[in-house]
This record gives sequence, C-alpha cells and structure tokens, in this order.
Amino acid sequence: MQHDEVIWQVIRHNHCSFMAKITTGNFCRNPYNITGVCNRSSCPLANSRYATIRDHDGVFYLYMKTIERAHKPNELWERVKLPRNYEKALEIIDKHLMYWPKFLVHKAKQRLTKMTQMRIRMRKLALKTREKIMTTPRKEIKRESRREKKAETAAELDKSIEKELLERLNGGLYGDIHNILPTHFNKILDENELHAVSEDEEYEEEPEIEYVQGYDDLEEEDDIEDFGGFAIDESLKNNDDAPEDEEDMDSVRVKRRSESAHQKMEEDERRKSKKKAKVLVEVEHEDASERQRATF
Amino acid sequence: MAAAARPLVSVQPLPASLNDMATDHVTTVALPDVMKASIRPDIVNFVHSNISKNSRQPYAVSKKAGHQTSAESWGTGRAVSRIPRVSGGGTHRAGQGAFGNMCRGGRMFAPTKTWRRWHRKVNVNQKRYAVVSAIAASSIPSLVMARGHRVESVPEMPLVISDSAESIEKTSTAIKVLKEIGAYPDAEKAKDSQAIRPGKGKMRNRRYISRKGPLIVYGTEGAKLVKAFRNIPGVEVANVERLNLLKLAPGGHLGRFVIWTKSAIEKT
Repeated sequence: MQHDEVIWQVIRHNHCSFMAKITTGNFCRNPYNITGVCNRSSCPLANSRYATIRDHDGVFYLYMKTIERAHKPNELWERVKLPRNYEKALEIIDKHLMYWPKFLVHKAKQRLTKMTQMRIRMRKLALKTREKIMTTPRKEIKRESRREKKAETAAELDKSIEKELLERLNGGLYGDIHNILPTHFNKILDENELHAVSEDEEYEEEPEIEYVQGYDDLEEEDDIEDFGGFAIDESLKNNDDAPEDEEDMDSVRVKRRSESAHQKMEEDERRKSKKKAKVLVEVEHEDASERQRATF
Repeated sequence: MAAAARPLVSVQPLPASLNDMATDHVTTVALPDVMKASIRPDIVNFVHSNISKNSRQPYAVSKKAGHQTSAESWGTGRAVSRIPRVSGGGTHRAGQGAFGNMCRGGRMFAPTKTWRRWHRKVNVNQKRYAVVSAIAASSIPSLVMARGHRVESVPEMPLVISDSAESIEKTSTAIKVLKEIGAYPDAEKAKDSQAIRPGKGKMRNRRYISRKGPLIVYGTEGAKLVKAFRNIPGVEVANVERLNLLKLAPGGHLGRFVIWTKSAIEKT
C-alpha cells in the first residue's frame, strides 16, 4: 500500500502519460483500465491488485494483476478466457474475483455486460450492409468520361467489326444468308452500287430479288438481261448447293442469334461473294426462313 | 511490494549467441537500499528546475542599442509631443537617453543584461536526495509506465543485466541485447518519434526532438558498451559514479527506464 499511495500521488499530481484531459473530465488511455476514467480506484498503475476485461477478436478475457508480480512487467497480467454465455461468464468472474474489493467485481461485471451488448450489436450491424459514403472526385470523373469518349471514337468499333466480319466471311465461316434485316441489306447494296461499278452480280441480284420479294431497286433490268446467261449457269450450280444452303442457314441462324452484326456480315458477304445465282436461290429460301424467324 | 528486507533482483543473462556469456545462469543481486528510498516528486521537481538552469548561456541586447543618436526634445509650443527627437532630420527617432520603448528605433524597455543571474545553487544534500528519489522511482514499473516508457515486455524491474554486457563493442549486438531483455520497444518508440520541433526553436539549433528511451547505467570505468549503445536513438549511457538528475528524471518527471549492469547495481 505504501507504494500505491505514493504512486498515485506522483501520477496524479505530476505526470501520467495515459491521462487525457477533456472538458468533461479526466480519462485514462491505458488499455487495461476498467472504466476508462482517470481515478484513484480505476488506475491500473496505482492499484497493485487490479482486474479488467478485454476483448480480443470477439472473445472476452479477464485480466488480473496481483501485487506479487508487480515487479515483473512481463508476467504481470494473468488471463482467463471467458465463455460466450453471459451467465457463465458472470459466474467465472465471481469465482476468480471472489475476495477482491467490491468495486472491482462490480465494475468488471458492468464492463462485461456492456461489452456483450456491444458485441451483439456489432455482429448484427456487420450483417447489414451499411452505406459507405464515398467522395466523388469531380476532376477524375470528368477526366475519365472525356477519355472514354475519345477512346470510343478512336477505336472505330464499326470499322473493326466490319473488318472482322469480312475476314470471317472470307474464311467461309458463315452460310449464305445475307438479308435478314431488309434495311441494312439494302443499305449495303446501295453502297456497293455506288462504289463497285464493275460488279455485275449485284445488278443481277437486285432484279432477281424484285422478282421474288419485290425489292426496291429495279434499276438494272437492262443489266439483268445482259447477264441472264450467267444467272442460268449459276442457278444450275445452286440447285446442287441448295440442301447445303439450308444447313448453312441453320448454322447461320445460331450465329445470328448471338450477333446482330451478322446481318451486316451477310451483306458484306453478298458484296464479295461472286455466286450470284446462289444468292438468288438462297433468297427464295431465305425469305421463307426469314419469315419464320421474324416470329421470334 | 511489501518487502521490508532486501528482496533479490535476478540478473538477466545475455544469450549465449553473443560472445560467450551466459555462463552464469540466473544469479541474483540484493536490491540496493537506494531503491527503497522515499520518493519525493516535489524535491525532484525543485532540484531539476534549478539544475537545468545551470547550463544556460547568457543572452542580452546590445548595450548601445537605441542610444546611438543625439536627440533633443523640442519642448512645448510646437504642437508636437515632447519626446526627444532627432535633431536634423526631424523624424521620430529615439534620442539619447530617450525613453524610447514606444518609439520606433528606440531602445527596448529594460534592455536585457548579461549579468542576470543565470545559474542556481542547490544544496548538495538536496541534490543527492533528488537523485536517490529518482533512482527509487525508476524501479517502480508503474511510474516508469506513467512517464511513458514501453516496459510491458521487460522481465523484471529494476532491470539488471549481467556484466558481460559491458564488453559489447558493436551496436548491432547492442540492439540484439536490447531485444533480448525486452527493452527494444522503448528504443523503437524513441526512434519512431523523431520529428522536427514546432516553433522557432527550429531556427535556433534545436531542430529535432524525440522521445527518451532507456538509460543504461554501467559500473566499470571505460566500459566499451558506451560506444556500442550511444548511437541507438533515444538510448543514453551513464556511469554509476556520476548519475545525472537531468537524465534520471527528464523534464522533472520521475521514472526513467533504467537498465543497470550487475556491477552498477552493486555499487549503488
């Protein structure tokens, strides 16, 4: 006791590095303090017989210090694990602090109560998703959106898709179904009309298409007559290929479902494929299949 | 600690990996009487504040400052205040013998003199009492912790290590020794706390501040451990014959973390 009193005098009036003075009072930062207040009775430094409850990873431990070990800071605190059950923990506290001063026993139980409550609450909260407030760095957001736009225009997605499709067409990946979407098909045909004057095939196609479905372009009737011979030859070939075409159509259907760009692909195929008669034949088939597909 | 008789303090052996010590296992030393002295923080405070004045250097303003003009008051009748004014220019400058602390360029009020009493005498007995008190306080872990040292991993207070530590020559072995005895966290704390001082002290050759770490006290003269330990930040070394209150109770606060060697403790 001689030491405790002296220690307290020195600590309180001279200097204690754990003491924190707030407008509302004096608090103790010592992690072993049982109440958190800087008090003669709750100072872990000035009481040689002391007990606390501390929490480690959700498990509560009862820490005790006795005067016998006061000169060995290494082994000062004795630790007892407290069970999860609140009542059992209380019993254990009673057992260990049996003949200890009432103040410590009482405070220890209070602390245990509060810590269990907090633990329950923390666990419940952890299950709920809490909103996390994040800052919105405007500069960065604006910068990123600007860059996005630029990257998009720089990437030229349309062109790369066309290229890829043409490559695939040249590789023979697709069947011969070209005009699922009439508008796109027509657009490509228009473009081809403008660019490729030498391509007679297209002219052949258009009037043929008219014949079958009533397409718009009726301009090249003259040309059709010129190339009628070719068309006949090709049609012979096409008959052989007809069954194949159907199969291709099926496979193409699968592919089309995945990509809407397939339509364009087909149109590109049209441009480059030189089997006009085939096309003609296919068109007929396609019309039927197309109508079926339109019912998706 | 209700020990009335002299309890035993065990000497911490240093690990066998260093040199070839640890031949003596756990020897014990009786606790010196010093450690049982009464702790008087008031005396320590008084002595400390007086002793720390003894290392001061005088400062003063120049004796001639503010008087290096000839000035006369213009007297009354000129619709101006009557302080002496510099002749000639007529600007408001303090004149010779002028009470010019309110004037720009005048001398200050009560210019500082070098013959101020800078040092203080303290009774020898008081000084000794304070040192004794500080040593006693250093053996109480609570006080040492309250002063802010990290001593949770120290095996025993007061901390005594075997004499083989006195022959340590390399700082790296010194650090290892500190780690072995659990004093390293304190030295680490000192190292981590190095910072630039706030305020004008920066420009006045007091640029860096840091916390104080352990104080190593050795017994034999000329021990080599002085050189090994002195470069570790925060660590100070002292001979037991000449213990300094300013080191034992820095800032006037009792309870520095002291590491004794066996021979040092036997001499106290």
